[in-house]
Amino acid sequence: MRFNIKQVNCGSERIGSLTGFIKSSKTIIETPTAALLTQGGSVVHLTAEVLAKVFPDTQLLWLPLSNSVQLENGVKAQGEGVAKFAGLPKHVICATLYNINEIVPPGHFELGKLPLWTKNGKKMITADKYMDLMETFKPDIILAASDGRISLNEKPKRIVKSVERTIALLDSCINKYKASEELQQSSLVGVIVAANIPHKCEECIRHILKYKETLVGVALAGLTDGSKESYEISLDKLKEIFSRVGGSLPNDLLRIVEGSWNPAVIVTAIEYGWDVFDGSYPIKLTNKGHALSLNFDVYRYSGDPCIMDLNDIRYNEDFKPILEGCECLTCKKHTRAYIRHLLNTREMLASVLLSIHNLHHFNEFFVQARLHISASTFNIYKKHIITQYENINPKLDNEENKTAPALVQDKKKIKVRIDDNVKTEVNGTIIE
Amino acid sequence: SAALRFNISTECKITKARSAVMKLPHYDVKTPVFMPVGTQGTMKGLLPEQLENLDCEIILGNTYHLGNRPGTDVLEKAGGLHKFMGWNRALLTDSGGFQMVSLLQLAEITEEGVKFKSPYDGSETMLTPERSIEIQNSIGADIIMQLDDVVQTTNQNYERNKEASERTSRWLDRCLKAHKRPTEQSIFPIVQGLLNNTLREQSAKEHMTKDVNGFAIGGLSGGEAKDDFWPMVSLSTGILDKNKPRYLMGVGVAIDLVVCVALGVDMFDCVFPTRTARFGCALVNKGQLSLKQKKYETDLNPIDKDCTCSTCLNYTRAYLHSIVTVETVSCHLLSVHNIAYQMRLMRTMRENIENGTFPAFVQQFVNEVYPNGQYPTWVVNSLSSVGINLCHL
Ligand SMILES: [Zn+2]
Ligand SMILES: [Zn+2]
Repeated sequence: MRFNIKQVNCGSERIGSLTGFIKSSKTIIETPTAALLTQGGSVVHLTAEVLAKVFPDTQLLWLPLSNSVQLENGVKAQGEGVAKFAGLPKHVICATLYNINEIVPPGHFELGKLPLWTKNGKKMITADKYMDLMETFKPDIILAASDGRISLNEKPKRIVKSVERTIALLDSCINKYKASEELQQSSLVGVIVAANIPHKCEECIRHILKYKETLVGVALAGLTDGSKESYEISLDKLKEIFSRVGGSLPNDLLRIVEGSWNPAVIVTAIEYGWDVFDGSYPIKLTNKGHALSLNFDVYRYSGDPCIMDLNDIRYNEDFKPILEGCECLTCKKHTRAYIRHLLNTREMLASVLLSIHNLHHFNEFFVQARLHISASTFNIYKKHIITQYENINPKLDNEENKTAPALVQDKKKIKVRIDDNVKTEVNGTIIE
Repeated sequence: SAALRFNISTECKITKARSAVMKLPHYDVKTPVFMPVGTQGTMKGLLPEQLENLDCEIILGNTYHLGNRPGTDVLEKAGGLHKFMGWNRALLTDSGGFQMVSLLQLAEITEEGVKFKSPYDGSETMLTPERSIEIQNSIGADIIMQLDDVVQTTNQNYERNKEASERTSRWLDRCLKAHKRPTEQSIFPIVQGLLNNTLREQSAKEHMTKDVNGFAIGGLSGGEAKDDFWPMVSLSTGILDKNKPRYLMGVGVAIDLVVCVALGVDMFDCVFPTRTARFGCALVNKGQLSLKQKKYETDLNPIDKDCTCSTCLNYTRAYLHSIVTVETVSCHLLSVHNIAYQMRLMRTMRENIENGTFPAFVQQFVNEVYPNGQYPTWVVNSLSSVGINLCHL
């Protein structure tokens, strides 16, 4: 895969493109952009059939190993990589160790090993094992293994340790990568940690840049451990980090930011030349029953909130679409009242309809960002987006990442499933 | 009537099976038909357009649930359930009585109606035949059900059965009288009588005297022996008007569908295909694949190589195994396949009825389900009662 920069403005916001994907050579993915978050290899809540209705073109998918490692034997048996195995053969995969937003117990490191919290409990994994899995999964982009999931305000001792570990892990990943022609079909990305301690962060970056010829880009981690508190960082602080870290990187490297950052943070990062975001934000909203409703008209801002809580009883008899004028499948056909009913009855379609809208709208947010960069009006767009976030009830944006009611209920159902299944087996013959 | 026209296209020359088009206000439904159950105005995470792609022509909603949430006020303001859920094809609603008796331990049945404590606020409420129809009028389904007096199928008490069966007929009159939208919605009476020949015959004959567009056969599929089940279906279809649709409630397992179509049933509903999907089971002719099983971990076949559903076209058993019962997507994928399976089975039956090959199809289907030739006696007896004498090939 190649990353090319098409335009850099006097701010350092830029438009670039990802091309040269092995399995879809004609695909061009323009940056800045966000990936679509996957779980178990599928875009969260969406089957391949529905995904094709929402996005007919090839998409960049974000694939955390922590929720997809159970696919290993199947992917290996098929031998054509994880995208094909997960029923999404034409899409492009960016694989990483964790979904940074999964809240997991802290610590649990062993020498040379990282904890991977999966649905089946903790697995200790070495950098070598990680790269072996990547050889099987054949993603287009691999984020090097790192100790990146720590909050910005973690104790300095812990942060220093994370730099040490991340450096050692990168060395191991590079060695594996260079030794395998198969792995070199994928592009490798180095991970930056310790953003809050400038000299440690520089040490990390210096180490990554030693491999500049091998790496396609860098990813910024170490800002959050997924917890609610770790997201409580002021925009000014984040701005300082995006600016400082971005400024110390060569221009031609792809820059990725991990974490479930809202559009106000994202435009701030874009301003300093950050290109790709992990796409977990719209899922986080969906799982809370929230809909994103940003205003994109920089000359006309009504003051309406840019996040709607569709659990709210006020939408009970509201037969308008989530967002008037929205071209997504959900808004063209379904009403706020219906979605509120689905949330209220904990029906799975709530998550599907909200995902369709949120992913479409989040994508539109990036489309608009690129248009403004092209037109050199990004500064206006940035302020327009940030204003909308300043005006919302902070509770809406910064609530704990709780699971969707539908999902919670589903987990209960899985428990019930075992007993209920006995009944089903009586009805129909289970083939052994 | 404008609310329902039933045009029989072909009758099987040997069995009682027939294919027909049931013209309803929202859609022309081809029968025999299977109706998936979308309890709360949605079908297990599937979009309405996915259901259309799956060839669903009519689906079910549950009056008891919809009457509680979102409630009749909202449904009326939305312009009915069709508009509320974005479904343009036909809908059928049950009366709410069955749900009440099966879900609520506190239900008490009197001549007036079903008395129960609301699970939402604990208040005492009464579901009368009139109230059931009122709610169903608000929901606006093409076909609606009378409120019936529900007794557990396996109940042995003759007096209670008799009372329920006769009360069901009295309630039918009250439902018909309360019905406000007869040109847009058809009330189906429900034949009761459980497993008692005389009571069931009386019930069917009584309902035959009413001006209705179709009939439901109730009180079955409640845990009774299959040898007791099919004669009641046969008895009912033997009495009910040949020129009107007959709907057998709560039946959806493939072999039951095939036998009951042969016995002259036109419509079926069951939660089975979507419920079993939630448990990670995929329907195939031979029964079900329980995809959780380790042996599917590296099985690169689709669920069914002859199935053309979007799940079978895009996904392997191995992939489904790795996400089944964990990701919501797996539930959607299996629901798609299982509904596709039911729809394909019904379509195949219709085609065979129309081609005059239905008896041969039945023989071949039974062989596929019981490849060892060990046919259950109820299958042998029920089919022989309509002229199909099974022989092991
Ligand atoms: Zn929308
Ligand atoms: Zn299928």
